[in-house]
Amino acid sequence: MAAATVSGAAVSEEPPERRAARRRADRRRRLTVLAMLSPWIIGFCVFTLYPVVNSFYWSFTIKRYGAPARWVGLQNYELLLRSDDLLKSLGNTAYLAAFGLPVRVGLALLAATLLVRARRGNGVYRVMFFVPSIVPAVASGALFFFLLKEGGPVSSLFGLFGAEAPLWFGDPRWAKPALIMVATWALGDVMLILLAGLVDIPTSLYEAAELDGAGRWAKFRHVTLPMISPVIFFVVLTGMIGVLQSFDQAYVFSQGVREGRLTGEPAGSLLTYAMLQLRLFQDGRVGFAAAMAWVMFLITLAVTLVMLWSRRRWVHTATEEFG
Amino acid sequence: MSRTRRFLALVGRHSVLIGLAVMFALPFFFMLLQSVMPLDQAKTGTLFPSRFEWDNYSEVFRRVPLGGYVLNTLKVCALSVTGTVVSCVPVAYAFSILRWKGRTAVFVLVLCTMMLPYQVLFVSQYQIFSSLGWLDTILPLVVPAFFADAFSIFLLRQFFLTLPSETLDAARVDGAGEFTVLTRVVVPMAKPGIMAVAIFQFLFAWSDFFGPNIYLSSEENLTLAVGLVRLNTAVARLGESNLTMAASVVFVLPLLVIFFFAQRTFIEGVTLTGTKG
Repeated sequence: MAAATVSGAAVSEEPPERRAARRRADRRRRLTVLAMLSPWIIGFCVFTLYPVVNSFYWSFTIKRYGAPARWVGLQNYELLLRSDDLLKSLGNTAYLAAFGLPVRVGLALLAATLLVRARRGNGVYRVMFFVPSIVPAVASGALFFFLLKEGGPVSSLFGLFGAEAPLWFGDPRWAKPALIMVATWALGDVMLILLAGLVDIPTSLYEAAELDGAGRWAKFRHVTLPMISPVIFFVVLTGMIGVLQSFDQAYVFSQGVREGRLTGEPAGSLLTYAMLQLRLFQDGRVGFAAAMAWVMFLITLAVTLVMLWSRRRWVHTATEEFG
Repeated sequence: MSRTRRFLALVGRHSVLIGLAVMFALPFFFMLLQSVMPLDQAKTGTLFPSRFEWDNYSEVFRRVPLGGYVLNTLKVCALSVTGTVVSCVPVAYAFSILRWKGRTAVFVLVLCTMMLPYQVLFVSQYQIFSSLGWLDTILPLVVPAFFADAFSIFLLRQFFLTLPSETLDAARVDGAGEFTVLTRVVVPMAKPGIMAVAIFQFLFAWSDFFGPNIYLSSEENLTLAVGLVRLNTAVARLGESNLTMAASVVFVLPLLVIFFFAQRTFIEGVTLTGTKG
């Protein structure tokens, strides 16, 4: 571990007793740093570094908990890439990202742009939009499970208009929109982050645009959007990672449908995270699950890198504006 | 812009906002209504209960050990909040106020661990905890909290960096060692930041489903999140969603209360992680 040191040249010019004192003080400072860091150092080694190395090794083995691992090389990865489940779960996850994220971020942006201009009632609206996002995922899962179930409030509302509500959890076409709906309801944190970004846009830019005769839409298109794009980038990136790891609500939805069975799969909507847990605790295939975890990590990494690369194309940087 | 047009824009804006707000509030509204719905109506999909059945709340406490779930959840929350604060405050201090060679590099390492997905860790963490004989106890949920998580370190560091260095130096001139500066000067001054970290950890521990679902199994050890899902599964076929919703209210209400008392801390915390992350 790196620690405080003084340069050798400065030390040699000092009288020996001063040098000894300084060295003692140095050692004390180094010990202080180490002592304060120790919770993190221990935690990092035990709960991060060791598990990472371990699960990487296991991913090349056949292993069950409590039994020794047997080296099989790339077999887990080959099996995984050939399995239909992986494709299916990735497809479902991609669906949630492709349709869920734009709705979530778009609606959050709409709410934030309206809020930033509304002076009266700003606080009340802000609280109302934010509160759903602190509801725990399993609670909002249970809540929407009730709202959307056959004969629940939503189908009653559909009934008022003489329409028939879809079978949200029993129908593969509607299970994913139901998941998107819950995620959209909890857009509060995205909205707050966007709101903070909007507040930071200097009003002088809007005034300048007005002088150029820009209307409401033109101002949004040419001032707000470019200025807010770094923040949008951030919420989309974290949102993507969130979708890749989403699990709780799908679990609740499926639990209610197939009683007592750990499926994590409401009507053909197996998600990657659920699939991982399924292999691990239902089938006990630790090595296979470890390989899957690493594939998921690589996918996350790839998504992040692609987004960072695409950043130049659509994210506006301040240096271009003022440089 | 003419006055009428400005007025119309104002009306338009507020009607969209009100419409959105109603849409966001409706689920809560139905949750509350359903939680006091008499059973015979709960099964039929009626929107409004003919009378308020408050007994649903005592019924759900009778049906499942909800009181025990609350107690377990509070235990997990209290221990993991304590652990997080006790461990992350000195670590954040070392990363913000102490100066040492390699500080930036190690801090980048901390941030990197934040990007590491939990799934590559828990496959192996499960094995560690099971070989320690910790399965079906709350230990796997609270012990890691005592070893400083990256998110809390990051948040606390942001707060510590804003503290005036003159005050700290004054304390050092008076002969205070770093540990004294930490406990006597930094902690009192950074109370809002520590509060924010504590609240976020509480929120996480209270809501967490993934961890408790893996590590806890017997009925008397469950937390609210797992208990709620099991209840939902058990009563879904019977159509007793009034009980599920009553349990959900018990689960969600404390969070709403905390939110209303600590609104500013919440909003600042979320914005801080968003804009400076």
